[in-house]
Amino acid sequence: MLVGIPLQSNNANIPKPKECAQEMSQFLVTVADKRCKRSFAEIFNYFAPRLRSYCLKQTGNEALAMELVQDTMSNVWQKAHLFNADKGSPSTWIFTIARNLRFDMLRKQQNRKEDICSDDLWPILCEHTADANEVTLEEQMTLQQINTMFESLPEKQKVVIEAIYIQGKSQQEVALELDIPLGTVKSRTRLALQRLKELIKDDD
Amino acid sequence: MINYHPTEEQLSEFAQGLSSPALALVISAHIDMCGKCQKHVARLESDSAKAVFEDQINIAANQPKEFASMLADITCLPVSESPSATPKESMIELDGRKFAVPRALKRYVDKTGNWSHLLGNLWQAPVDLGPIGKAHFIFMQKNGRVPEHTHRGTELTLVIDGEFSDGISHYDTGDFILMNSDNTHAPHSEASEGCLVFSIVDAPLHFTSGIARLLNPFSHLFF
Repeated sequence: MLVGIPLQSNNANIPKPKECAQEMSQFLVTVADKRCKRSFAEIFNYFAPRLRSYCLKQTGNEALAMELVQDTMSNVWQKAHLFNADKGSPSTWIFTIARNLRFDMLRKQQNRKEDICSDDLWPILCEHTADANEVTLEEQMTLQQINTMFESLPEKQKVVIEAIYIQGKSQQEVALELDIPLGTVKSRTRLALQRLKELIKDDD
Repeated sequence: MINYHPTEEQLSEFAQGLSSPALALVISAHIDMCGKCQKHVARLESDSAKAVFEDQINIAANQPKEFASMLADITCLPVSESPSATPKESMIELDGRKFAVPRALKRYVDKTGNWSHLLGNLWQAPVDLGPIGKAHFIFMQKNGRVPEHTHRGTELTLVIDGEFSDGISHYDTGDFILMNSDNTHAPHSEASEGCLVFSIVDAPLHFTSGIARLLNPFSHLFF
């Protein structure tokens, strides 16, 4: 109910920033100590329209802007006791609350991009980088592990995997080259990848 | 000693609330570990607050009617007693070793899955951040090494504990690293205690050297 909470309806006497900070600090203390609705209304009347215009500028979306105002001002009401004037001005405190809520909002909004952990990732065209002549000892250890994994595959799978993933050929090309059906290339690839995946990821 | 910080522009966008959610999270965690950036961002936040709130807008003209009921609704809400929702668990554990995580990452400790062992003396645990990117805690044991790779998207890394090198630089606890398709590197740790990092990628890695290309179909397993 609105009883006793005046909603500022004119733009007379807009306070100057400096005295405003002191005044708002005082209001926040009163809200924290006495749950004073009148003091909160003063804070609300000053900050709510400005928060709305900040969010409108960023998003151009009225509903989001109102949601941000609601969430921010609810936090201010509920957590006024956490405001510490020694650590910064009321503006900075309220702005930081709004900013963090805005990040949370963005986090929820962000649409799931294409599933980046898809198992069907196809090899990207290989880049040519300086070759493995100059690798350090530790790097050789990892490469050796990869090599051992690779060597452990059945010969027929190894040929297919090498052609596709190291030489960058298409499955169709491999089928033609080895004179085997495309389906066979696919199943050998699938089996080899399954095996390699287990080897890479030895859960223990 | 922290040597790698977000750029001035990244910090400024963070302060204003303009960073992408993934970047905001990693910058926020870096700030928890870096007093210098903490002070700097506090100044930037205060500047942004001034810019936003000292705007002499015409309140009467701009005020939507819903503000009255919103104000009334808010003042009916109870006080929130807890200082803030502090999660119970703020350490992550690997093989009996416990690591403290920066404040910004605490809310994700109980969204961290089990550790799994990858080749190259690497351990990783997935962190469910929702849709903003694939996140992991990654532990490189001594001599642990990620094969040389480039990035198809952006890779954000924060060193949580320990040190590592990647052929480009050497990084220490608290360092903030942003890599993209312009960078090719091979992270490895020679520290006897190993190195724990937090990393977010928005697209799979692309392995570049010789036989390591064989890993490309599995790049999603590597962070």
